[in-house]
Amino acid sequence: MAERIPSVFEISKILERIKQFFIQIGELSFFARRFFKELFSVPFEFKELLRQCYQMGNRSLMLVGMTGFIIGLVLTLQSRPTMIQFGAVSMMPNMVGISIVREIGPVITALICAGRIASGIGAELGSMRVTEQIDAMEVSGTNPFKYLVVTRILATTLMIPILVVFGDLIALLGSALVENLKGQVSFQLYFNTVFDALSFGDLIPATVKSFFFGFVIGLVGCFKGYHCKKGTVGVGIAANTAVVMASLLLFIVDFIAVFVSDIFYEL
Amino acid sequence: MAKTKLENLRLGIFVVLGTILLLFAAYLIGNRQNMFSKTFEITAVFKNATGLQNGNNVRFSGINVGTVNGIEMINDTTIQVRMVIQDNMRHHIKKNAIASIGTNGLVGSMLINIIPGLGTSSLITPGDELLSSNKIGTQDMMSTLSITNENAALLTADLLKISKTLTNGQGTLGRLLNDTIMANDLYKTMVNLKYTSYKANSTITHLNDIVGQLNFKESVADILFNDTISGEKIKNVIKNLETTSFEIDEMSKNLNLIISEINDGQGAISYLANDSLFVNQLEKSMENIEQGTERFNENMEALKHNFLTRGYFRKLEKQEKKLNNL
Repeated sequence: MAERIPSVFEISKILERIKQFFIQIGELSFFARRFFKELFSVPFEFKELLRQCYQMGNRSLMLVGMTGFIIGLVLTLQSRPTMIQFGAVSMMPNMVGISIVREIGPVITALICAGRIASGIGAELGSMRVTEQIDAMEVSGTNPFKYLVVTRILATTLMIPILVVFGDLIALLGSALVENLKGQVSFQLYFNTVFDALSFGDLIPATVKSFFFGFVIGLVGCFKGYHCKKGTVGVGIAANTAVVMASLLLFIVDFIAVFVSDIFYEL
Repeated sequence: MAKTKLENLRLGIFVVLGTILLLFAAYLIGNRQNMFSKTFEITAVFKNATGLQNGNNVRFSGINVGTVNGIEMINDTTIQVRMVIQDNMRHHIKKNAIASIGTNGLVGSMLINIIPGLGTSSLITPGDELLSSNKIGTQDMMSTLSITNENAALLTADLLKISKTLTNGQGTLGRLLNDTIMANDLYKTMVNLKYTSYKANSTITHLNDIVGQLNFKESVADILFNDTISGEKIKNVIKNLETTSFEIDEMSKNLNLIISEINDGQGAISYLANDSLFVNQLEKSMENIEQGTERFNENMEALKHNFLTRGYFRKLEKQEKKLNNL
């Protein structure tokens, strides 16, 4: 059977998509540059920042906590039989502790927040854009970028690391609970073993990369919402693409963070 | 407004609590790496660091007392490992303590074990270099184990062959195991052997007693064993004996030759030795001569008493007496 040769139209469509991708990256870079520019210029929207921090931090804690607890619980339950097979069940706290602190805690928390926060920001700013509220703010003399975008990006950048810390702790508690019930390991022994296994090479890169995760979530959410088009349909698209793009960028940032931390800490 | 304040309070608690947790975790990790306690540094030199890394634990008699602070290659066979030890351990670790690289369990991370040395020694001071022992690594053990396994496989195969042969009753051992008659014989032999051994034992004891009773100092044995001059003489005697025996041997050969010549020759002796008829005739002749001699004596006696010859015999007696008196 002869292979179907793609038509010129199809090729040009693919090329157009590639072009759009690079345009998006370029626009996102300009958006980020504008954020840093506006970040250090007066006036500071401190009240709005606190409100956004509360919305993104406190309001996400329950979701992050529950997810973390279940992740810790499930990870321990799933790994336990394999570790028993290897005769290394006493290494469970080490393995779970390092996994959660290094990777699972930050990534799961960031993904949860990408789903909740990036989509929320995208939808909120998108609806403001399509209902011309942003335009109205510009007309009224308020800097909408500073009020809406800078505060949100800053809030996500500051809150995600704290959520990660809580997420890690709750995940470890979940894991410790399983170990306590199934392996008769006391909570004290569990956390002693975990902190024996951990080093600054685990904690510092994870904390630093969670700042970047927060920045990416806020940046993508704001970018998609701020540049929302096509009316109310565009709001949905903005919310959707914000989650997808933020999640994808999270993994790319994660890869770069691991690569860089490997150079500094010899993981 | 009140709602905003409550939100701010909750946010404040959230942020502060999160920050405290992060700092507490950092403190716990740092504390385990002896970052916040008073420490001192010691070193140990190894031939092979076997995967040791900075931050690995250092244990003294099984207790975590410090961490590895630096690993430096001095030359191709010398690796210097610096260790940070808790200051309160200065009162326990002595200069003769021995450092070795081990693992935390079978699959755990590497660590340094400091074992207290034997005997008395002064306490360790900062900058001291500990003695080190290079244990066999897992890789070495595995390679040795591999060779052992191969040998074990060969041995097992050989053992299988041997056991089959034994079971089938082949060979001496097989017969020994399966042949009941042989077993009985062997049992009897063993009993006899036991009895013989018992007897031999008592004989040896008896001999020992005899030997013990011998006075070596004043006997020939002493001379034989200790006197070098006598030894030399005995050596000469033996040499002479050897020469004599050689000569005797030569002589006996000559005698044999003579005897064979006598036996085989044509001379009178051969005739005398071999011809029985001649011997009988000679015997008869000898008897006749004897009888003739007796008759001659009788005749001579008669001549002495004859009146014609009696004067001659008396004259002879007188001359004999004269000679005896002189």
